[in-house]
Amino acid sequence: MEEIILKIIIKSLLVIMLIIYGSIAFTMNYRRWRKRRLNLIEETFANVTSFYLYPDPNIEPDLIKIQRTFRKIGIVPSKPRNVQYLIDLMIRTQRSILGENYLKLKTLFTQIPPYGASANKLGSKRWYIKARGIREIYEMNQSQYVKELIGLRNHNNIYVRREAQIGLIVFLGWKSLRFLPYLKRQMTLWQQIKIVEKLNDLYPEPDLFYLRKAYQSEKPYANELIMRIIRKFNIIEDVRYIINFLDNPNFDTRESAIYCISSFFLNEADLSEIKKKFYNISNIEQQLQLLKYIHKISNEIDLVFFKDLLYNGTDIIKLSTADILWNNGYKEEVQEYYYHQYAKQNDGEMVSV
Amino acid sequence: MRKALVIQEDIIILKILERLVLLNHYDCRAIRSINDLNIEDQSENFDIIISDILFEGISPLDFVFQIQEIILHKSLIIVTNMGQKKIQNEVVASNKVDGFFAIPLDMDHIKKLIA
Repeated sequence: MEEIILKIIIKSLLVIMLIIYGSIAFTMNYRRWRKRRLNLIEETFANVTSFYLYPDPNIEPDLIKIQRTFRKIGIVPSKPRNVQYLIDLMIRTQRSILGENYLKLKTLFTQIPPYGASANKLGSKRWYIKARGIREIYEMNQSQYVKELIGLRNHNNIYVRREAQIGLIVFLGWKSLRFLPYLKRQMTLWQQIKIVEKLNDLYPEPDLFYLRKAYQSEKPYANELIMRIIRKFNIIEDVRYIINFLDNPNFDTRESAIYCISSFFLNEADLSEIKKKFYNISNIEQQLQLLKYIHKISNEIDLVFFKDLLYNGTDIIKLSTADILWNNGYKEEVQEYYYHQYAKQNDGEMVSV
Repeated sequence: MRKALVIQEDIIILKILERLVLLNHYDCRAIRSINDLNIEDQSENFDIIISDILFEGISPLDFVFQIQEIILHKSLIIVTNMGQKKIQNEVVASNKVDGFFAIPLDMDHIKKLIA
C-alpha cells in the first residue's frame, strides 16, 4: 500500500518537474525568438531611415515599398507590441537628429504605419496608457490631435494632465499660456520647470501678448509659473509682476518670487518698492535672502534703510545688516549701535568698554 | 577611394552615418563595437574614423588616446550620447579629435567635415 502511494508521489513530482522545465525551455526560446524579431525591426527601421535621409542619387524614396517592408516584418495592427516598438524607435530617432534631417524624418513618420496607435491610446481607461499616448503624439509632432489634448488638460490624473499640458506647449507655444487661467488643478514645481524648459527649447522668442493675457490668473501655481517664465526669458519690462508677489501671504509664492527676482538688476524706483515690501515678509529666512539681494544690486548703501533694520529688525536681521554695513565702510554706525545697546541695558548710563 | 570606419552602438545612428559617408565617396566599414574590429582593420589606414567614446572596459579619454595607437587614421570624429560638457572639454583638450558631436546632432556638420 505504502509503495503505491510513494510511486504516485514520485510520479506526480516528476510531472511537475517536467512542466517546470518545459515552461523554462519555452520562455527561453520565446525570448530568443522575440529578441531576434525586435532586432530585425530595429535593423529594418535603421536601413529605411538611413536610405530615406541619404538616398542614392536620382532615386526617389518609394513610400509604398517602405510600407510593404514594414508589413513584412510584422508591423501590422494585429500585433500592437511590434507597432509599439516601432513607435519607440521613431521617437528615439527623432530625438537624436537635428536640422534639415529632422524635418525629413517628420515627413517620413507621417507616412509609415503606426496606424494611429498613439491616438487610440487616448481612448484607454488606464492612465498610464493615456499618458503614453499623449507623449507619443507630441514627441512625434502629430499636431492633428491637439484638440484632444486641450480636453485632457484638467484630467484628474496628474500624469495625464501633465503630459497634455506639455503637449499643448509643444504644439501651440506661447499661445497655450492663455489656458493658464482655466487650469483647475495643482501644478507641481517639476511641471512648471518642464514647461519653462520646453518653451525655451522650442519657442525661444517670448510672445508678450499671450504671456500678459495669463497675468489674470489667480492660482498660486500659475503666478509661480509666470514668474519663472519672466526670469528664464529675462523679461525686464515685466519685472513688476514678480515684485508684486514678494510679500504674498503664501510661503511658496514668496519663495518663487524671491528666487526669480534675484536674477534681475533693478532701477531705483523698483528697488525702493522692494524695500517697502521687505517689511511685510513674515519669514526671517526669506527676509535674509531678500536683504542679500538688495545689497547685491544696490550701487551704494542706503543708510536710512539699513540703519532702520539695524535698530528695529529681529536679531538675525540685525546681525546681517551689521555685517553688510561693517564690510562696506560703515564701521562707525555699527559701533554706535553697539554702544547704544549697552546704554539701554544700564538705564541710560554708558559703560566703558 | 578614401576609407572610413564608423563605430556606433546605436544601429540607427550607425546606419545613417554609414549612408552619409558612402554618399561622400568613401569605402565604409561600419561596426557596432570595438570588439568587432579585426586584424585587417588594424593594418588599414583610414582617412576618417567616426566613433562613439563610450565602450565597455575603457574610459572615454583612454579610448581617444588608445585608438591612436591601434588604428592608423588621418582624422577622428566623435559622435556620442555622452555629451556632457566635462567629457567634451576633456576630449577636445586632448587635441586628438577633429570634431566632437553630442547627440542630438545635425548631420550637416559632419558632412562639412568629411566632404
